[in-house]
Amino acid sequence: MTCGMSGRARAGLALLPLVTAALVTAALVAATTTGCSPARDEPAGRAAARRGGRFVFPLAIEPATLNFVSGTDQASVMVERLVADSLVDHDADLRVVPRLAASWEISPDGRVLTFHLRDGVRFHDGVACTSADVVYTWERIMDPASHAVGRVDPFLPVEKVEAPDPVTVRVTYREPYAPALRGWEIPIMPAHLYRGTDFATAPANRAPVGTGPFRFVSWEAGRRIVLAANLDYWAGPPGLDRFEFAIIPSADTAYQALLAGEVDYARIPQAVAATRAEDPEFRRRFSEVRYVPLFFNYIAWRGDGSNPFFADARVRRALGMAIDRRGYVRSVLHGLGEVVSSPFRGLLPPSGALPAGDTPAAGAATAATPDLETAATLLEAAGWRRPSTGGLRRRNGTPFRFKLLVFAGGDDHVQFSQVAQDDLRRLGIEMTIERLDWQALLSRLRSGDFQAAMSGFIPGPDADSLYGLLHSSQIDGGQNYAAFRDPDTDAWFLAARRTLDDTARQALYRRIENRIATEQPYAFLFAPAVIAGVSARFEGAKASPQGILGHMPGAFALRPAAGGS
Amino acid sequence: MTGYILRRALVTLPTLLGITLVAFAILNLLPTDPLLTWSDGTAPLSAEAASRLRDALQPDSGPVTRYATWLFGLLRFDLGRSLRDGRPVTAVLAEALPWTLVLNLSALAAIYAVGLPLGWIGARRRGGAAAAGRALLLILSVVPPFAAALLLQRLLAVRLGLLPLQGTGAGDAPGVAAGVDLLRHLVLPTTCLALAGWAYAARYARAAFRAILAPEALAAARARGLHGISLARHFAPNSALPFVWMVAGIVPALVSGSVVIEAIFSWPGLGQVLLRGVEGRDYPLVMALMLLSAVTVLAGQLVADLVLPAIDPRLRDLVARDENVRG
Repeated sequence: MTCGMSGRARAGLALLPLVTAALVTAALVAATTTGCSPARDEPAGRAAARRGGRFVFPLAIEPATLNFVSGTDQASVMVERLVADSLVDHDADLRVVPRLAASWEISPDGRVLTFHLRDGVRFHDGVACTSADVVYTWERIMDPASHAVGRVDPFLPVEKVEAPDPVTVRVTYREPYAPALRGWEIPIMPAHLYRGTDFATAPANRAPVGTGPFRFVSWEAGRRIVLAANLDYWAGPPGLDRFEFAIIPSADTAYQALLAGEVDYARIPQAVAATRAEDPEFRRRFSEVRYVPLFFNYIAWRGDGSNPFFADARVRRALGMAIDRRGYVRSVLHGLGEVVSSPFRGLLPPSGALPAGDTPAAGAATAATPDLETAATLLEAAGWRRPSTGGLRRRNGTPFRFKLLVFAGGDDHVQFSQVAQDDLRRLGIEMTIERLDWQALLSRLRSGDFQAAMSGFIPGPDADSLYGLLHSSQIDGGQNYAAFRDPDTDAWFLAARRTLDDTARQALYRRIENRIATEQPYAFLFAPAVIAGVSARFEGAKASPQGILGHMPGAFALRPAAGGS
Repeated sequence: MTGYILRRALVTLPTLLGITLVAFAILNLLPTDPLLTWSDGTAPLSAEAASRLRDALQPDSGPVTRYATWLFGLLRFDLGRSLRDGRPVTAVLAEALPWTLVLNLSALAAIYAVGLPLGWIGARRRGGAAAAGRALLLILSVVPPFAAALLLQRLLAVRLGLLPLQGTGAGDAPGVAAGVDLLRHLVLPTTCLALAGWAYAARYARAAFRAILAPEALAAARARGLHGISLARHFAPNSALPFVWMVAGIVPALVSGSVVIEAIFSWPGLGQVLLRGVEGRDYPLVMALMLLSAVTVLAGQLVADLVLPAIDPRLRDLVARDENVRG
């Protein structure tokens, strides 16, 4: 339906700016090469002026839609970041930076957030982007018919959004809301293209128009999404002429495609990452990017009393102590990853004292080498005794035998669960493993129909994102799969939302972190590192915990390498 | 004859219905939560967002109602909309179908192009190169397609750079160049898909040629002065029959094999749509695919039933007798 004439027409239209781009590039090349020879350490302005080239980035899954509000799967968000602008964004170190909003201020009572938009910004179709588009985007997010599940959370505390003039947006919250600013990392929609159409099936959903550094050119279903430089971008033209997302479902194929020169970025499988780093031929053709994503793996112990094991914190602590995360990261992950001892890893400053009067958690050192002796003592104290005849631990005749659900498609899940199985056997506990596909695992997690389950969590850049995993309101319908219920933790999360002072807010999260270390509703496990190769034909790739595209400037800063073709 | 066709077509209807019912039952037995389909399974869902979505979605009607709705839509040739992106299922399938057809037809052509000559040579001569070739094909046929794919990708695309590794080509090249580009991208997936079929085709063709080209028959034909092309023309109609039947042995294997091959070679065909559909519990999409494959198989049988009597006089008599019996 979409691939016939319209595709060809789009391709024809796309040629025009390309020709322009080529002319501009030619002019720039001429300007920079006349006279002096390019110096090794060239000035930033000169480097930024060098632009051109086509960067191909593999996507494992095709976006469901490029409707900025409903498309919140990882693939859609990656494309939307390039095509559209959000009011604010974060840099590679996860600090808030301005984007479509040049500046903002927060009222002294913390309830009103006022954005001042950049003047003269236009959508790719030439229509001006104003505060009315921001209000429209917010309205669509709040409209239940949009199914904007992935976007709605930061806007639930919003009372109203107003546009007093074309470049000002005033957001009023019902009460002070500390994570408010980061909530506006949402791409702004072109209201004029959506008004009067069916939101779910509007043409712009598959041919998006934004204000971002790259213009949409074409979407060939199942094959690729092609973007071209927006030469009128408010921050200047991006360093690349074209950005292509190639749909490559197999991770191994993506890596081979990098080696074959068909894509310019790909993850390197952990098994070969170490040898690749020393291969001179590889180093000549690719630069290496490393980062540890915010994502981490955990085991949720269902602690609501539906099983005889995990309602007791001593049992959860004992099991956490017996599992050898460090050994797993060292051997199976070849050291390419981090042991996770706190869910707030990377979201709080590394050093920070507990508020005076709080006692540090007893089992805080869970991530260290396994401590089977202490674990056994804890289990004994909880009534789980090893019979003198050997065999499994028992309490009141019940043997300690439980089932762990894992995701069958995740190598880490399958391998780690086998390692943990051995660790627990030494403690007199039998853990059986049930492998499920993703939807089946999630639906079991959401219905609470499990004893223990391995899963993963992707926190946002703000510590408040742990609310979904730990607040008791999230047991039914949210992501608090362990059914963890602690009135103090609940109160601290809500207080932190109302606390605008950074230090005071961090102190609250420290308290939560400490309580979690004592209660251990989840066993926090490990975060695998990502090692990726970037074609040496390009430079400017910067890793963040969200990859080379998931930050500002991200893809905007990519450009042809000096001396490259 | 028309009555025969009509009756055959009517008989397939209950079969079709049964297939859709089984497919629907299997899909509904898989554990899922409609919210997960809508949020693509990845979005961070808070309890508040989840309850808002639950309210916005139609109240989850039971499986019986859903099946009835689906079936009723089918009567109006409406296959529904994909749950993932809200587009009509027919549009999603129309994008992927040509790619699957191209890949499978080229694999079929490759199987015949290699299998028939080898079978012919094998039928004419004993031992020697042909036997060695068949033995090699037999060994190749037990190599799993994904393993063959990985080996060929590493050798021909990465190491030697002779062929594209994956994908379908840029598609923005003009005319002939685009065609050549597509053909180059077809080589590796076609080879991997044809791999398992070659040995089968060669053995099948050898047996078929042996039966047709029995020395007595050949000698008799030669004695009547036939040679070269006229000899081939004499034997062609007779020999066509087993090779039409051979398709039936190859196609089902191709279709299931192409799901794996499509994923490895980033080929945007129906196999990928199916994988995505099952993972996302996108049941209108999966049901449509089940229906499509069922219709294809049944239509294939129907066509065979019509074509074979046209070639084979013995079958023609059978149909005629059937017509007479039923009046």
